[in-house]
Amino acid sequence: MPGSTPEQPVPGRPTVTDGDRGPARILGDSVRLPTTVRWLLAKVLGAVFVLWAVATLIFFGIRLIPGDPAEAILGGPGSQASPEALEQVRRDYGLDQPLLAQYFTQLGRLLQGDLGESYSLRMPVAELLGNQLPGTLLLSALALLVAWLLALGLACWSTLNGKAAAVVASGLEIAAAAVPHFWLASILILLFSNTLGWLPPVSTNSADGLVLPVLALALPLAGFLGQVMRESMLNAMTSPFALSARARGEGETGVLFRHALRHAALPGIALSGWAFGSLLSGAVVVESIFARPGLGRTLLNAVTLRDIPLVTGVALVSALAYVLVMAASDVAERAADPRLRAA
Amino acid sequence: MSFAFRTPRRAVMTAAGAAAAVVLLAGCSAGGTGSEENAGEPVSGGNLVYATGDAEPTCLDPHVGGNYPQALAASQYLEPLVSKNVDGEFIPWLASEWQESEDGLSWTFTLREGVQFTDGTPLNAEAVKANIEHVQDPETASSTGYLALQKIESAEVVDDLTLKLNLKAPDSALLESFSMPWVALQSPKALERSQEENCAAPVGTGPFMVEDWVKQDSITMVRNENYNSPPADAAHGGPAYLESITWKFIPESATRYAALQAGEVHVIDNAQPDTIAAAENNDVIKHLDAPRPGASNRLELNTSKAPFNDPLVREAFVRAVNVNDGVSSLFFGTAERSYSPLSSVEPLGYSDESLFGHDPAEANRLLDEAGWTERDAEGYRVKDGERLSLEFPVSTNQSIPAEQSLFEQLQATAKEAGFEIKLNLLDLSSWYGALAENDYNLVSAPYTKVGPDVLRILFHSDSTVPAPSGYFANLSQVKLDELDEILTKGSETSDPAERAALYEKAQQIVLEGYYILPLYDQQNHFLYRSEVSGLRALPTVSTPTFYDAWLNS
Repeated sequence: MPGSTPEQPVPGRPTVTDGDRGPARILGDSVRLPTTVRWLLAKVLGAVFVLWAVATLIFFGIRLIPGDPAEAILGGPGSQASPEALEQVRRDYGLDQPLLAQYFTQLGRLLQGDLGESYSLRMPVAELLGNQLPGTLLLSALALLVAWLLALGLACWSTLNGKAAAVVASGLEIAAAAVPHFWLASILILLFSNTLGWLPPVSTNSADGLVLPVLALALPLAGFLGQVMRESMLNAMTSPFALSARARGEGETGVLFRHALRHAALPGIALSGWAFGSLLSGAVVVESIFARPGLGRTLLNAVTLRDIPLVTGVALVSALAYVLVMAASDVAERAADPRLRAA
Repeated sequence: MSFAFRTPRRAVMTAAGAAAAVVLLAGCSAGGTGSEENAGEPVSGGNLVYATGDAEPTCLDPHVGGNYPQALAASQYLEPLVSKNVDGEFIPWLASEWQESEDGLSWTFTLREGVQFTDGTPLNAEAVKANIEHVQDPETASSTGYLALQKIESAEVVDDLTLKLNLKAPDSALLESFSMPWVALQSPKALERSQEENCAAPVGTGPFMVEDWVKQDSITMVRNENYNSPPADAAHGGPAYLESITWKFIPESATRYAALQAGEVHVIDNAQPDTIAAAENNDVIKHLDAPRPGASNRLELNTSKAPFNDPLVREAFVRAVNVNDGVSSLFFGTAERSYSPLSSVEPLGYSDESLFGHDPAEANRLLDEAGWTERDAEGYRVKDGERLSLEFPVSTNQSIPAEQSLFEQLQATAKEAGFEIKLNLLDLSSWYGALAENDYNLVSAPYTKVGPDVLRILFHSDSTVPAPSGYFANLSQVKLDELDEILTKGSETSDPAERAALYEKAQQIVLEGYYILPLYDQQNHFLYRSEVSGLRALPTVSTPTFYDAWLNS
């Protein structure tokens, strides 16, 4: 089951990225390749490994849970499948084969790029994902953007307004970071749809339909990002280069925007890959609550129905998206921090 | 044309009138379920938005599988052979007449004339035959429909509009079966397509047609302009008033209700007790209560192992728990306590309140008598070093939050008598798994079916034999020759008096044996906005029908 609340974030660099650097070093000892190529190769190898691990874990994980996928394919509450029907389904879906045979069959298909057909929706998984992915990506990307803006805005404001503002900002961040998505989403609906009647409770891709789900996802993330960014910004404001800038006659605002902002952004960029992953898991809850089609809701249904191909498909696509965003955040981090380029 | 008829043995039903008089029947039958304050004339046109909290069907053809979410949607585009009126009598729908043979081994159905499926295929005996064969074909993987049509051996086309069914054994539930959406009729031409195609857009004779299905979002249904086959109790003739229906999937109940309040949707199902109570104070929102037929919601006591293999312990449990207080406080008056194995809408339901009174002193006495005399440090009863502990797997997919709270209250009251109840909240597949492993003492499982033959499915010893999947319907695992005999006889006799007597006896046995603890009806609550008029639930499996409905702007 996907977690309904995101795991508690660990501040600092996510370990996956560190791990990804490993193969590059090993390779680098024997084969002399340009740094960027080595870096890229390591990324690709890492990604392949992650995808294989995800496919394998999902396949066996879902089989460990008691219950019969054939029954799930046929039924649901209140319906009793006939033995003939069950047998038919087992044959049709290859569920009568030994588990390992099923695993290798599935792996072989995946290698050919065939994600199979969903048990529950009776459609090619690739087509389903194609339909559901854009909505979730839009939601996650907007949430990430909004979280960034909120976090940076709060960090700038509190930095420029002294101790009291810092206390307020810190309180807000901790509260926001601690709020579970499902609770926040329900409160937002209660407030903005039921009471004020400003925004629709059911989400669409139109602007007004996106506001509440984006907020539900962005607020907890903003709280978390904000804590890290503000810390880093405060450090920068008291560092020697800020002092020398002030000595040159730069005002506080100038110091903040010209020097401290880049420092505050660095941990934010580093965390964005992780944050994106947490948004995908948050989407499971938010998409269900706002009745929004998307990957998260697909995953939830698929797990409930033991829809192995669909669960695998969603997990693979999420893992791939995660890997890509991690790589992108690495690139951005290198761009923002010259020290990393030398490494 | 009149459809007055009698079986040689007895009248199966009273004549319902002339087929042409379908419209005239409307006035008297629409009462009770529809919106009473229908002001003004029906308005043609408009798109009605329905939001369901039931699962999204995996296939829109209810022959495949066969669960309630499918029945809900299919009631708009597929029609069955017969229906029931609010008094529980069978009335014509796609069949205008039917007759059972003397020996009960064959039935003849006469079909309504001039009806077409929406792809232009005529409704005739061949078409019905093709449908029965489709349901019975293992490739279709039908479950509910398959069980319902199990006794049919073959279908014979007598002439264009007459079909004869030959049965393996008499089937008193045949008409009930044919009234259910799970065996509703589809175009034989459409059935020849691949299952994928047919699942995506089944073709029926209904007032609406499936136009588009965006997975995890909505189904679009449009009006069938040539519609001419309403059931005998419909309020009007000809095509539906509504131009289209958007059938949205909104799983979260709070969101569903908020969308209704905001006017984004017109009708919601699976309304939760708290929102129904809130809606009572709202002029804009109305409530349609349509309990499902078949079994009541009940706890089944697993008699196949300790401690419920001891009748004294079963009775002690039933006396120990306080159901009434829980039902009245948690359901805000939206659920009434049941004392019957059958739903309150089943005409042959039998209740016995006296067996289920809350009596903690009696519970304690019974447990002492059963040898559970000691208590451990936590206050639970102990016998031979074993705690009086009950495993209770609960499927979160089938149990609403109010019901889960009710189970918690039962847990608390049972504790006073010394029972420990271990509530395990599980997803559907894990729940099936727990049942298959016989890893339960208590369980609550819904079963919707028209008619008292559901008792045979739930309490006949044959139903303790698991299907290859491990699932079985007789979850209390009652095995009594006497009960088996009564249930088999009941499923074969068409004599109303004898049938009623048999099913009463069967229910008495079930209740007096304390195999189940009846709780309340299977909930089916719809909330709708006041601009919707003419909405009603079909008296068969209580699915809503929008044929007579219109939108006042």
